[in-house]
Order: sequence, then structure tokens, then C-alpha cells
Amino acid sequence: MLYRWLRNLHLYLGLFISPFVLLFAVSVFYLNHGKLRQDTLPPGETFQDLRLPDGFDRVKGREAVERARAILPQVGVSGEIGFLRYVASDRHLIFPVSKAGLETTVDVDLDARSATVMRRQMSLWESLAYLHKMPGPHLVAIRGNWIGTRVWRGFADATIYLILFISFSGIYLWWALKAERRIGLVLVTAGVATFSGLVYVIVR
Amino acid sequence: MSSSAKTFEVWNRRLHYYLGLYFLFFLWLFSATGLMLNHQAWFPELYQRTQSSYAMPIETPAGDTVLEQTRDLMRQLGLQGEIDWPASQPVWHIDFNVSRPNGSTQVRADLNAKQAFVRQFGNGRLHAFQIFHTFSGSRFNQPASQRDWIVTSVWVLAMDALAVGLVLMVIGSYYMWWQLKNKRALGLAMLASGAACCAAFVGGLL
Repeated sequence: MLYRWLRNLHLYLGLFISPFVLLFAVSVFYLNHGKLRQDTLPPGETFQDLRLPDGFDRVKGREAVERARAILPQVGVSGEIGFLRYVASDRHLIFPVSKAGLETTVDVDLDARSATVMRRQMSLWESLAYLHKMPGPHLVAIRGNWIGTRVWRGFADATIYLILFISFSGIYLWWALKAERRIGLVLVTAGVATFSGLVYVIVR
Repeated sequence: MSSSAKTFEVWNRRLHYYLGLYFLFFLWLFSATGLMLNHQAWFPELYQRTQSSYAMPIETPAGDTVLEQTRDLMRQLGLQGEIDWPASQPVWHIDFNVSRPNGSTQVRADLNAKQAFVRQFGNGRLHAFQIFHTFSGSRFNQPASQRDWIVTSVWVLAMDALAVGLVLMVIGSYYMWWQLKNKRALGLAMLASGAACCAAFVGGLL
């Protein structure tokens, strides 16, 4: 009974997360071996008469990001704000906005109430690498300022939890195959030896 | 079913769990560290590290290139790891950083004074564990960065092998599932819903 239930869950949950597993696996090659081409940015698009929130010279962190988000619909941009850079000397607010496939830089002139928007298309490889790395460990206080990033975080977490479930249920299903126990144990031992040997060499 | 098809089916199933068992610990490491990287708030003291400084006499480093000279200095100082250099070097200096998951070392080598000033930073165990996830010695968004430690190259090979193993396991599992005719409909629904969610993100809709 338990065997049958676990086998079905292993199969169906595995099928559900398999596209995510493929995404994380395939993007490893780009993250390890790829190099981003430094293309010239196309000319920016300018937007005038924006309704701008005030206080960018005072507020920081999440509050500043929330105010910057109010500008995005006016310039036709959506995505995760990477960080904010306020240039006090000429009262400009500059910030990148990203989602898979597109990286946008928004340069707001707070006094002129105008913004210049520069868009750069990501390649498919770069998009996969972007998703692999999101939300990531940086700027935790402002990360997840876009609904897409928060939902993706949920799927990335679910992929991990389901991989853990699938690996444990896989061990149970393998152990039930008595004829495969010996070779399986040899492989687990070889895997542990490779893993611990590598870790030892790196940190010794 | 022909005997070759039967053989393929048996070996495809075996490959699925043989790969899974061999890569088990690698998979657990990348799963656990992936969770850590996405939930830094769970580990408020992760980045606390120890620090020590010392000065040490050095010989003029051998070699014609900065890489060769840096490697010679590392040999003299007993250092190993991935090297990176600051954007600019002071005159008669070779300054560089050496990093590994368990810590990093900042070296300021004064070739005139034949003296190296060394600062060592030690990462905590949990932090070192997390760094294994990203320890590739190369960054795709920094074209100049490259691997220069053989051990990093071997670790990257292990990461690549795990990725290939996962792709083979997933493709093999599609074949095994398709052979189970009574499970095709629900399986297809699960696979299609997973693929649709994933495609929405890759396509930039979300």
C-alpha cells in the first residue's frame, strides 16, 4: 500500500516539477561556462509629465522601492527592481528592472518629471540563468518587490522540497528491489566518496 | 515487445536510479544551499567571519605574467584557491585575493620592500557550505573572470555532471511513465501544468 502510494506520488510529483528541474539543470551550463555579450544598448525612450512620488532624497530600502514602483506603470515597465541609486547632484533616480527575457534601466529626472527607459532583451540562456539565480541572497530587504519574483520564489522552493521528497521516496523504492540493493549501495558509496573527497580537497 | 526494446527499458530504469543514487549527496547539497540562498533571513549570523592579519617577507616572484608571478607568491605564502585581481595595481605591487568556500585571503605584495601584507578571513561552516552552490570561479556577467585553480575546475565538472545526470533522469522518466498506459492521462495533466507554469516565467509573463 505504502509502496504503491509512494510510487504514484514519485511519478506524478516528479512529472510536475520536471520542467523546473530541467530549467535549473540546463542553466548550470550557462552559469558555469557562458559569457554575457556586452551589446550596445539601443537608444532610450523618453517619457514626460510623470506623476512622481517625493522623498527619494530621504527614504531608503523597501519604502523607496515602493515609491519607485509607482513610476513603473507610467513608463510601461514591469518586473523586479534590482536596486535604487539616487544621484543627489542632479536629482536623478536610476534603477534596473528585470524579469526573464528583459532587463530595463529607468533613469528618472525628478526635477523635470521625465524618465528615460532603456531596454535590453535577454537571450534564452540568460533568461534561464536569471531565473536560476532569483531571488538569491543579495539585497534581501528589497528582494521580492514584484509579484512575479514572489511567485517564482514559491515555485523554486517547491522544486527543492519536491526534489527532497522524490529523492527519499526514490531510496525507498530502490530498497524494495532486492536484486538491485548491492549495486545501489556500491553507487551510493562511490557518490559519497566522490562528494566528500571533493569537499575535502576544496576546504583543506 | 522486441528483446532490444526490453533491454532498453530495463537499462533505462536502472540508469534512472543508478544516477539518482550516485548523485544523491550532490543533489542534497545543491537543494539545501539553494534553499539557503533564497532565504537569507533564516540565517541572520551567516556572514560572521574571523579575521587575522600578518606581514611576511617574500622573494621576487618568478614568471613573466601576472598570473605566473601571483602563483609564485601564493606558493611562497602557502595559499591555494581562486585568484582575482583588483581593477588596478599600484606600482611595484602585486595585489590579489584568493578565495575558497571556507574563507578568503587578501594579499598586498610590495615587490620593492619584498614584503607581503596578508589579511585572512575565515567563513563559518554554514557560510562555507552555502558557497559550494556558487563556487565556479567564473561569472557569466563578468567576461574577464575565469577559473584558475584546478580544484575549482573539478568541482565545476561535478556540477556539470550532476546537471547532465538530472537531464538524463528526467528524460528517462518520461519514457518510463509513457509505458504505463493507465497513468498517461493524469501524468500528462501534471506534466502539462508544470510545463505551463515554468513557461510563464521563462516567457516573462510572470
